[in-house]
Amino acid sequence: MSFRINRRRFMQTTSAAIAVGTLPSVAGGALAQSSGELRVLVGGGDWGKANIEAYVKPFEAETGVKVTTTTDEMGIAQLELMTKSRNVTVDVFSMSQASAFITAGKGLVEPIDYSIYKKDELDGIIDFAKQPFGVTALIYSVLMVYNTEKFPANKPRPTTWADFWDVEKFPGVRALQSGVNGGGASGPWEEALLADGVAPDALYPIDIDRVFASLDKIRPHVRKWWESGSAIQQIMHDKTADLVSSFDARAKLLIDQGDPLEINRNQAKLTWDYWMIPKGSPNARNAQKFIEFATRAERQAAFAKLFPTGPSNLNAFKLIPDELARKLASHPDYLKNSIPVNGKWYTEVGPDGKTNSERLLQRWNKWILQKS
Amino acid sequence: METLQKTGRKPITRAVPASAMGRIRPVETLQKLRRMPILLSVPAFAILLAVYAIPIVELFLASLDAPSFSLAHYREFFAEGANITVLFQTIEISAVATAICVIIGYPTAYLIVAASKRLRIVLIVLVFIPWLTNGLVRTYAWVVILGDRGLLNNLMLELGLISSPLHLVYNRMAVYIGMVHIMLPAMILPLLSVMLGIDKSLVAAARSMGARPFVAFWRVFLPLSLPGLRSGLLLTFIFCLGFYITPATLGGLNDAMLSTFIVSQVEAVGSVASVAVPSFVLLAVTIVVLSVLGLDLSGNQGREGQPAQTSFRPSWLLSFGPLIRYLSELAASHRAKRWTAERYKAGGNSRRSAKTVGGVWVALAIFFLLFPGFVVMIMSFSDKPYLEFPPSGLSLQWYRSFFNDPSWIGAFWTSVQLGIWVAVLSTIVGTLAAYGLSRTHPRVRRPLTMVILSPITFPSIVVGVSVYQGLFALGMIGTQSGIILAHTVGAIGSVFIIVSATLANFDRRLEQAAQSMRAGPLRTFMRVTLPLIRPGVIGGAVFAFLHSFDELVITSLISVFSIRTLPLKMWEDIRNQIDPTIAAVGSMLTVLPVLWLIVLYVGWWRSRLTAQSGVSVPTT
Repeated sequence: MSFRINRRRFMQTTSAAIAVGTLPSVAGGALAQSSGELRVLVGGGDWGKANIEAYVKPFEAETGVKVTTTTDEMGIAQLELMTKSRNVTVDVFSMSQASAFITAGKGLVEPIDYSIYKKDELDGIIDFAKQPFGVTALIYSVLMVYNTEKFPANKPRPTTWADFWDVEKFPGVRALQSGVNGGGASGPWEEALLADGVAPDALYPIDIDRVFASLDKIRPHVRKWWESGSAIQQIMHDKTADLVSSFDARAKLLIDQGDPLEINRNQAKLTWDYWMIPKGSPNARNAQKFIEFATRAERQAAFAKLFPTGPSNLNAFKLIPDELARKLASHPDYLKNSIPVNGKWYTEVGPDGKTNSERLLQRWNKWILQKS
Repeated sequence: METLQKTGRKPITRAVPASAMGRIRPVETLQKLRRMPILLSVPAFAILLAVYAIPIVELFLASLDAPSFSLAHYREFFAEGANITVLFQTIEISAVATAICVIIGYPTAYLIVAASKRLRIVLIVLVFIPWLTNGLVRTYAWVVILGDRGLLNNLMLELGLISSPLHLVYNRMAVYIGMVHIMLPAMILPLLSVMLGIDKSLVAAARSMGARPFVAFWRVFLPLSLPGLRSGLLLTFIFCLGFYITPATLGGLNDAMLSTFIVSQVEAVGSVASVAVPSFVLLAVTIVVLSVLGLDLSGNQGREGQPAQTSFRPSWLLSFGPLIRYLSELAASHRAKRWTAERYKAGGNSRRSAKTVGGVWVALAIFFLLFPGFVVMIMSFSDKPYLEFPPSGLSLQWYRSFFNDPSWIGAFWTSVQLGIWVAVLSTIVGTLAAYGLSRTHPRVRRPLTMVILSPITFPSIVVGVSVYQGLFALGMIGTQSGIILAHTVGAIGSVFIIVSATLANFDRRLEQAAQSMRAGPLRTFMRVTLPLIRPGVIGGAVFAFLHSFDELVITSLISVFSIRTLPLKMWEDIRNQIDPTIAAVGSMLTVLPVLWLIVLYVGWWRSRLTAQSGVSVPTT
């Protein structure tokens, strides 16, 4: 009996949804949630596979929601086209923090519903990870890596960015991150300031003149300003440079393969991705549930075992064996000596209408074309 | 027949839409087309307009602050010194890369055309093989070859030629090597398609009149090949303007190009409108180059115009002209005799050494083109999860990881399908447009040529966003046909350039002859024109297929994550890990078409054998 009533009510709701859906209105999305679907961009490679194993499959099992995954990443331009044309074909994606702040500033994402989070889970999540527009999915770092053949244990090893800049004391070929993606808040800016003696807690607002004065000093010693993780991985593996800045995961990968490299965690630059929901997602409620699910300590611990990046929920470390935990950027011991990148500063708009990212990029473009 | 003739006299009041062309009374249409060949370009412009042009115009107006109209954005762009520096640097890098392509490409194309038919086919295939390996993979292969601890340095260290590694990579030279490697086939292709159409007897005639080989080449062959050279220059230069992955990977800190700035600007601001200005600046550069090279791709078409060589013959040759002529006259009788003697001789000493030099040249050019692909192929058998040459151990695991992953196979077939559709569509539409515009007044032809070429001039991100808006209006976002149209927009330009070059040498009197024999326009086209311009059409089709097969930026925007092409899948892979799966994919893409061609060739050879055995009389 109840089945029939439910069924009739179900029919009514769906036909209403269809009727509304045919109208050119965003309201159609809210009602279509009953479909029990979710489309997640999980990213490529091992990262994508880990997202599927640690989050997507258990989420399907727990909620019965049918999840479709795509192994790709979202770009700002794509998201903007998608939301503005109301042709939202993805419900959950993750994005680097700088891009996340830009998209949030443009109003392209749904606000996160923190009311569905359990208190102990919410308390475990690092503060910067809980933004109105997104929750941090994973934490990684850009840090110093050196070749152990060039810098053996019985000789002094570089530990600070000032050491990296000191070519007399630590001779060797350098590679640094390029500033070409200044908009991605990824450039050698913080490193340059730390090398010049700025205190870690006084980095922001970044003194752009000082950054480039410092970069002038290291410029002749840098063999390659790398632009992608693949590039720096190849540089480290080929021993093109002895002392580099790199993503921690790329260096870990090579060390696990037996390359003679050592990671220096001191003054590591921490950065992270946010899970977000495109504005107008037709499955927004499921998307909220998915993000809540994916930021639980137990799930993040499972993820870290598959793809060694730092969890944003520190409770996860209770479930991760110490050996693995020591490889993760957000390990409590490392957090103390790391510098979180302030993605928000990069998107702040100055009096000239330009963001700090744009200003940095403009300066970078000018700087690279100078004859050294 | 009678009804057709009747309707044929009726005046037509409206333009014939592309799709309706087949349905409407054919004779009437054909007659109209004869009077107004420009209508043949209607399908091409219909696609361009619907899919891409309208949003681009909107973007252009926005860059001018329409409706109030100001140049503020442009002033802002040029006020920034770095923008001007990088603009000139972009032109410089593109020009040098194009020049190197000409220096290597022209003799190579010439020698390929001069080779025996069977060898020629093999050589043409060898020239195009590198294109089948993804550009990204090839760029990484150069890092492996030129790197500080790379193949070349290790080899030289081993041989004791150098004591410390040379800096072969991360500088301008490496950028040129990478760019030339990618663009050289684009230079050779139009050259080949034109050179194959040159009547060899013209050169022979010049020789019989006493012209020495070089003079015969300079005065006869070179002028006739100029349309191919021009379109090769154009194609190469335009594509070079848009490079950014190669300079980023192989170049040093200051080897930036305008596209580098454009892409990072999009990243920083997250909006495409902000890069409208540099995009239109890039287009302006193309317009300037086009007008320098002669906007008319099919400029000296028909033989009735003034001889092309006068304008291209350098002055030093003119000043030496009288002397040369005098000497020629002295030697004329002797040379005439020798010419007849040479014709029937197996080949003199000098000819043999010239042949050797030519052979070595082609071999070196092909080695340069194929070596990185060879390195990729070897690396794909590595047992280590990174790119390494030579590999320390061998395994097939990366091939297994390809075949065990349905997403790789699926992406591969999607791309093949899309490529075929794009090749068919853009070749038909592009050939019609080239044919139609070649018969149109230059004043009309020039601006229309610009429109057709603009999609390959603009940075792909800008084209991508425009195409997205165009397709969205058509309701085709995320559909296969939407992607086909998007790729076609770019592919038409390439087809157009190559076919136009072939049409430039095409003697229209052949058509007139056919028509004087009462062949209809359609029949003339199918039986006379098409067979004569076939090399260009095939070249265009190949280019179109590869354009689609390699396209990444536009596809990533318009597929909205619902269609996965091979470049998307490769890009996803290479961004996350540079394991040799990507090398394995590249190797298979290289080997499969070659195997296919061999099968085809063997089949053709067999059928010819059986056909020949039926013919009893030898042909002497």
